[in-house]
Amino acid sequence: MSHRWAAPTALADALGVLATDPGARPVAGGTDLVVGSRQGRRPLPDSIVAIDRIPELAGQRADPDGSLVLGALTSHAWLASADAVVSSWTALADAAAIVGSPATRGTGTLGGNIMNASPAAETVGPLIVAGAVATLVSSTAKRQLAVAEVATGPGRTAATAGELLLTEVRVPAPPEGSGSAYVRLEYRAAMEIAVVGATAFVALDGSAGGDGSAARATIREARIALTAVAPTIIRATAAEERLAGRSPDAAAFAAAGQAAAAAASPISDVRASAEYRRAMIEVVVARALSAAARRAAGEDVPVPASRWAHGQEV
Amino acid sequence: MTATIERPFPRADGPAKATGQADYTGDLTAPGMAHGRFLVAGRAHARIRRLDVTAARTRPGVFAVITAADVPDRLYASSGFVADRPLFARNVVRYEGEVVAAVAAATPEAADAALRAIEIEYEDLPLVLDVERALQPGSPLVHENWAGYEKDGEIVAEGNMAARSTIVKGDATAALGAADVVVRERYVADMIHPVPIEPHAILAEWSGDRVTIHSSSQVPFAARTMVAETLEIPQHRVRVVVSHLGGGFGGKCDFHYEAHVAALARAARRPVRVVFTRREEFTMPDKVGHGMVVDLETGLSSDGRIVARRGRILLDCGAYAADSPVLGQIACMEAVGPYRIPHVDLDARLVYTNRVPSGSVRAPTGPQTCWAVEGHTDELAARVGLDPVEFRRRNLVTAGDEGPTRQLFEPNGALRALDEAARRIGWGSPLPAGESIGIAAGWWFSMPSASGAFVRIDADGRGRIVTGAQENGTGAVMALAMLAGDELGMAPEDFAIVYQDTDAGPYDTGSAGSQTTFNAGRAVVEAAREVRTKVIAAAAEMLEAAHADLELRDGAISVVGSPDRRVTIGAVATQVQDDGGLLLGAGSGTAPTKPEHDASACVGRLGFEAFASPTFFCQAARVKVDRATGVVRVLEVAAVNDIGRVLNPRGAAGQITGGVVQAIGTALTEGTVYGADGRQRNAALLDYKLPTAADAPTIDVGFIEAPAANGGPYGAKGVGEPPIVPTAGAIGNAIAAATGARVRRLPMTPERVWRAMREGSDGAADPGGPLAPAAASAGEPASGGAVPVGASAGNRR
Ligand SMILES: Cc1cc2nc3c(=O)[nH]c(=O)nc-3n(C[C@H](O)[C@H](O)[C@H](O)COP(=O)(O)OP(=O)(O)OC[C@H]3O[C@@H](n4cnc5c(N)ncnc54)[C@H](O)[C@@H]3O)c2cc1C
Repeated sequence: MSHRWAAPTALADALGVLATDPGARPVAGGTDLVVGSRQGRRPLPDSIVAIDRIPELAGQRADPDGSLVLGALTSHAWLASADAVVSSWTALADAAAIVGSPATRGTGTLGGNIMNASPAAETVGPLIVAGAVATLVSSTAKRQLAVAEVATGPGRTAATAGELLLTEVRVPAPPEGSGSAYVRLEYRAAMEIAVVGATAFVALDGSAGGDGSAARATIREARIALTAVAPTIIRATAAEERLAGRSPDAAAFAAAGQAAAAAASPISDVRASAEYRRAMIEVVVARALSAAARRAAGEDVPVPASRWAHGQEV
Repeated sequence: MTATIERPFPRADGPAKATGQADYTGDLTAPGMAHGRFLVAGRAHARIRRLDVTAARTRPGVFAVITAADVPDRLYASSGFVADRPLFARNVVRYEGEVVAAVAAATPEAADAALRAIEIEYEDLPLVLDVERALQPGSPLVHENWAGYEKDGEIVAEGNMAARSTIVKGDATAALGAADVVVRERYVADMIHPVPIEPHAILAEWSGDRVTIHSSSQVPFAARTMVAETLEIPQHRVRVVVSHLGGGFGGKCDFHYEAHVAALARAARRPVRVVFTRREEFTMPDKVGHGMVVDLETGLSSDGRIVARRGRILLDCGAYAADSPVLGQIACMEAVGPYRIPHVDLDARLVYTNRVPSGSVRAPTGPQTCWAVEGHTDELAARVGLDPVEFRRRNLVTAGDEGPTRQLFEPNGALRALDEAARRIGWGSPLPAGESIGIAAGWWFSMPSASGAFVRIDADGRGRIVTGAQENGTGAVMALAMLAGDELGMAPEDFAIVYQDTDAGPYDTGSAGSQTTFNAGRAVVEAAREVRTKVIAAAAEMLEAAHADLELRDGAISVVGSPDRRVTIGAVATQVQDDGGLLLGAGSGTAPTKPEHDASACVGRLGFEAFASPTFFCQAARVKVDRATGVVRVLEVAAVNDIGRVLNPRGAAGQITGGVVQAIGTALTEGTVYGADGRQRNAALLDYKLPTAADAPTIDVGFIEAPAANGGPYGAKGVGEPPIVPTAGAIGNAIAAATGARVRRLPMTPERVWRAMREGSDGAADPGGPLAPAAASAGEPASGGAVPVGASAGNRR
């Protein structure tokens, strides 16, 4: 067995290696790939293409249509603190802010989080509810795919052989009067993995009254994604539908939480029983909706919403 | 005395550790070194049908593959209690991490490949995982040949019961019968891991017939003894040296894998190093905190005084006894707690199972038992309508009270620690919504044992201390310089310390049992006093003064009242050397004795039937419970301790702060989950959840100084273990105060808290009927007193 290693500084060179070496896999921060192999979860690939020095994959830009384009190498640390993300795609900042530790957030990338295809991947729920689209490239082609369709199962993606590179993610501008939040159940205050997580996106009509409260508004549209309850991150459509046209209050959020829990089929494992997971889906969905609705109404809910929502640090 | 002690000083090992320059055992290399790996069973109980290492031996880069066939055929008793264990599995494997073979190869990859080339076939045997069923007649046995094992004469064993200890005083049956109120409860604690951040690492290097073993050990002398015994070589040919140790928490106490690596290096004819992976650190640390079942039955008078307690305790021993036989006794003493109880009947059984061996992890059995006792104490208080603090005030021991085996207590800080902890946490003051407070008291022992030291002052006027003591990171060895300096009028920085090398220092028990300052401190003081006598004699001549008129201060000797009649200690040392002498001192001191007591009614007396120089402590925790999820955040802990005279306040506070954080893990998130196949399901740091820095609360440390008359140096007691004992109890009581639900499973995970809130309790509440009186006879069958989980479980509230 011979190990191969490349560290190209141009996108074309990386694509060249990926096209010609069937065993080649990209590595960005390595916080999944390398750490996972050290833990014996999966051996390191025979051939590794380090993509962290490729300028085409780095950086972020705002497009004229208001969407935000994030290079695959965008770090969690950047997502958690960039003004644009915090103000407009707040759920994404919520998610990135609670990934691992400061070291994990500095090293781990958005591209790696998506392509690792974990059902617990933190940023994916927020990207799904935002309607984000990923760009996948091979040496010969390029295609756009909704982030919701990238993961096909734990550790599996829709990328075809040779199409192993995600270059960027486009997150469309959120509509007026909307807000989003990501809330996960966590047993300790850092270095956690989602036992269950929920992303909520809420767009309000009639918007906030002069007092900033959402109470008199109605929900124009709600989107909910559930993390770590299924082989991939899923939308809770039944719960979403219940919310349209309702006023954004605790009863509505609780009902949506129940609908989401009823539609999920969580498993029992070392982290939680299925029964507890199901009950917790109700909680995190309701809390994420509450945080998102407040943000939609212009209230300040600090990032990360998890801390706020669990009442630990308001 | 008091020139240097009680003042903060910089630790000698601090800069190297803080800058990353300190070498840990896993950082060491030796020329030509090979990489060692172990083949472990990977199954919990099986007979080895076939084992063939021929193919593995012929693989490229492989220097040696060894098995039981390559070491002396003998069973060992790592702590002298029960000889139940071979170095490498012979015929049977009894837990998933049991070592079957070891490989030395040029690279770790070649070693791994050789492991895979070992051919082995197993026949699975019935698993023993449930401590209650293990004691029933007809249970499969973990050790078929238990009766034939050599063991300590005090050990009472039977089938899967590896040992039994009782602590008995008075007539508990009669007293419980006459009590106004009797409360029975069952508490169940999961197994916990010590999880030092530095994994086990060993580098063995032979030179002729002598072997030097660098080991991440907390007990180098015990390791040396056992290497010599298991490999049948004389002890003087074995040298165990410890580099900086990255934490141990008991996980590196006892003898582990030093002999395996020494045998491997001998077979490979070159140095061999083994460094554990994190997974191995979970599956084969050889030392975990016991899973426990604690049944308590306590009688009260209507005015809230405890009149009697009966307790039945089961300790999950794991596959081998190691040092656990003594720990049932400690559990019994902890189950009495720091309370005045006239009639006690405590019975602890240590039960073999197909799990990783348990042992003396920091305050062994303490956190689990104290958590049970202190939860029980709050339930008792509630039954007689008393405030938890007031209830404890009525029952805590004070000077002149009798302990569980009638030891007489000296003046101590138990009551003042209670009041001070309550005051610091704001007991009784209004709290923000959702917050609550719980309190827990406890006691622990100090451990007299042998230790020795050499102290000298060289002609440069600087001191050297040579000690056998072991620095596991607490700073206890570093602080020996403070004690020597105090005797000699020098600063701690004036001393170099040679430590944790069995060829250099005299015998020491190691960093175990909170004993370093207590015993090594005494040895250093005695050695320093010998030097002091020589310094004074020489200085008296140089200054033409009487011995009694001299004082040692600031590195010089001067005549009291005439500060300009003065010589530096360096000048004295130079003069002595010029005259053909040297300033050398040696000491071991006399170990304090245990208090008088009467353990005639107890069985399994292995040394803890009375607590020497007991420490007393109380912690109060303020928590916030998320009632929807069961997630508990600890916001503040007030930790007040009587550890006798506080010699090194910074070091002692460090022990308490670290202990509280570690114990928050024990309380809330740490616990090993086993599958039905007897394998650990959370053998990694993602799912075995240690508290992080972000989980650490505000910790308010207080001391009540009650110097021990018969204690360590200047009246000190032990401090390393006590701080982790009461935290889980305080948190459990705070959770109960917040939710009205008692969580009787440890750790009190979010799911368990959530269930307890929904069900009013977690279904483990009542042992199901009065506890059976202990038969005093040593020969009582093991199953006789096992307590069934009763039908009445959970119906108390
Ligand atoms: C201590 C710790 C804590 C963690 N906590 C969290 C957490 O809380 N939440 C969470 O979601 N994750 C967590 N993670 C996982 C990990 O940090 C994140 O998923 C991170 O975003 C992965 O990014 P990376 O660049 O390190 O990925 P890598 O390890 O480099 O790659 C991961 C996978 O994606 C592929 N890949 C990477 N970049 C690309 C690309 N541009 N195109 C195509 N494929 C690509 C790789 O081939 C590999 O299969 C944690 C990890 C650690 C070690």
